[in-house]
Amino acid sequence: MRKKFILLVLLQVALLVGIIAYRQYWVATGDKVLLKTAPVDPRDIFRGDYIHLRYDISTLDLNGLGVKESFKSNEKVYVILEKNPEGVFSAKSVSKELPAGKKFIQGRVQHEMPSSRWEVVLKDDSENLHELKPQGFWNVKRGDRITFCLDERGNILIFYKEGADYKPKCRRGQSLSGIIEEIKEIKTRTLHVEYGIESYFVEEGKGRAIESSRDARELRVKVSLRKDGKGIITALLVDGKLVR
Amino acid sequence: MPPRKEDFSFQRKLEQEIELWLKEGILLPDQKERILERYRLLKRADEKAGPGKLATTISILGSILVGVGVILFIASNWSAIPNWGRLFIVFFSMLASYGLGFYLRYEAKNYPKVGASLILLGSLIFGTGMFLIAQIYHITVHYPNGPLLWGLFVLPLAYLLRFKSLISLAILVLLIWLGMEAHLRTSHYSYLETVTMVPLFFMAGVTLWGIGLMHREWKSLRIISTPYILIGSLITFFTGYILTFNLYGLRFESDALLIYYPGIAVLFLVAMIIRCLPEGKEKGWIPETLGLVILMAIVIYLALFFPKASPMSLRGDLRLFFNILFALEIVGLITLGFIRRYPIYVNIGLLFFALDVVARYFDVFWGLLPRSLFFILGGLLLLFGGIILERKRRKILASFNIKEADE
Repeated sequence: MRKKFILLVLLQVALLVGIIAYRQYWVATGDKVLLKTAPVDPRDIFRGDYIHLRYDISTLDLNGLGVKESFKSNEKVYVILEKNPEGVFSAKSVSKELPAGKKFIQGRVQHEMPSSRWEVVLKDDSENLHELKPQGFWNVKRGDRITFCLDERGNILIFYKEGADYKPKCRRGQSLSGIIEEIKEIKTRTLHVEYGIESYFVEEGKGRAIESSRDARELRVKVSLRKDGKGIITALLVDGKLVR
Repeated sequence: MPPRKEDFSFQRKLEQEIELWLKEGILLPDQKERILERYRLLKRADEKAGPGKLATTISILGSILVGVGVILFIASNWSAIPNWGRLFIVFFSMLASYGLGFYLRYEAKNYPKVGASLILLGSLIFGTGMFLIAQIYHITVHYPNGPLLWGLFVLPLAYLLRFKSLISLAILVLLIWLGMEAHLRTSHYSYLETVTMVPLFFMAGVTLWGIGLMHREWKSLRIISTPYILIGSLITFFTGYILTFNLYGLRFESDALLIYYPGIAVLFLVAMIIRCLPEGKEKGWIPETLGLVILMAIVIYLALFFPKASPMSLRGDLRLFFNILFALEIVGLITLGFIRRYPIYVNIGLLFFALDVVARYFDVFWGLLPRSLFFILGGLLLLFGGIILERKRRKILASFNIKEADE
């Protein structure tokens, strides 16, 4: 009885130690990549003390990447990664088979859906032309007068048509109004992918601070990749500084 | 000294033996009465000393509180404690409670109930420790694996020690695993309805119940059959209760859950077959086993073919069918409880009888009566129903109280 009891308790200890050892082995032997995070819908950021993360590679523009295949929900995919000059990795291609000789991360397809992106030319009141790339630009035609609210990096925060019932104030950025000269809608297919690295545990109360500073600062995540491309987060970097 | 549990089983055997002695003429009827009276006195003394269950309950609650405390301590001092410190707390508190628990129960033997609760605490720290380690190292790979491993690693310990508390813990975390895994699997299917999980859990409930009955027929496992039967029958009745409502415009079948059904069905069949093997089974085992098999068959039909392959004419009628079935289940369970003097069955049967009456009252009279009258009548019905049920329940339980104390 005593021996069996000790044996079973040791089995439990072995499992816990095994989990730790496995993770350490994964980190020690895995390929390291740095990924850039993307903004998250602010309604579902917090899940307890977890920061919910999304990456640039979480949404892939299939046409832009030159991928013709279609993907089913829950299908396993390998996203081939390429390093940019800043040292951050971005998606180069997607494949259903294990790519050989390339750096890649394994993920699961959430869904594939048709989508559009827009390229717009706006002439402001001083007759200057501006090229803008709004995310959604429905119900607008050439000749409409539009006001954009842009942040310091030129990203569009909001926009509205002249004569609209609701005109939001541009608090955090700078307004730009003018007449739409050109609208180009580029139809594409977007693939939403999950990599199993979408949450990161932080100390109680710390998550909110990191989240609120995300717009202003850059949040990057260090990931270690197993041979089959499964990733595990090893560090979180805010403006290059390690978050503990 | 109040008699221990083992003394009651001794007393039961003694009663059987005495009958033999009487027949063989070793004892006189007067002597028989005197011997039995002696043990009745012991039993009364034990009743006065207070139930042993109270000590067990209090020490189990204590274990849970300490377990929660350990986790909260680590969570609220997250940055103050380095990684190795957090791991040390997990491993040390787990091993200490296992060790001390084992010592108190089996070596020193002076606080067996507290010892058992400390072993439960060890298993609680083991499971929560696993989640804590996942947090420390940011391991986010497939969440349901956590409860699955927890359950699978606690189960052997539960069988070795024959603890109801550990069996209950393992069953509960494995049910959580089933729910998480099924939810994750179905979340990729856009047509998922909330009721799709009902047949899955109905099956799980019937299977747990069956496994419990299998344990009950085997002497060495009998002591840990109660958690299986209790949790299994509660889930079966709760899901059966859900099926009495008007849900038959929704979908019960789902391709996403197909993968679970063969496994559960095989487990159920094996349990049922093993149950039938031993000699000298309990009274009423045939209708009980048959009843469970029929319930399983019905729920498999629901899970596979509704509404996909069931004829139009059947769809609306299923509600009536499941209401009749539920009423039959209740009657069957209470009858079995009577025949077998098994209070769990009587209590669960009466509980769901009351719930069913309330639900049907709402269904039938909500639209027919003015609101005020509806509530007054409903309230009166509940009050009187409560009194009658409580009296009936007490009478039933008292009628086999002597037997119950022996269990």
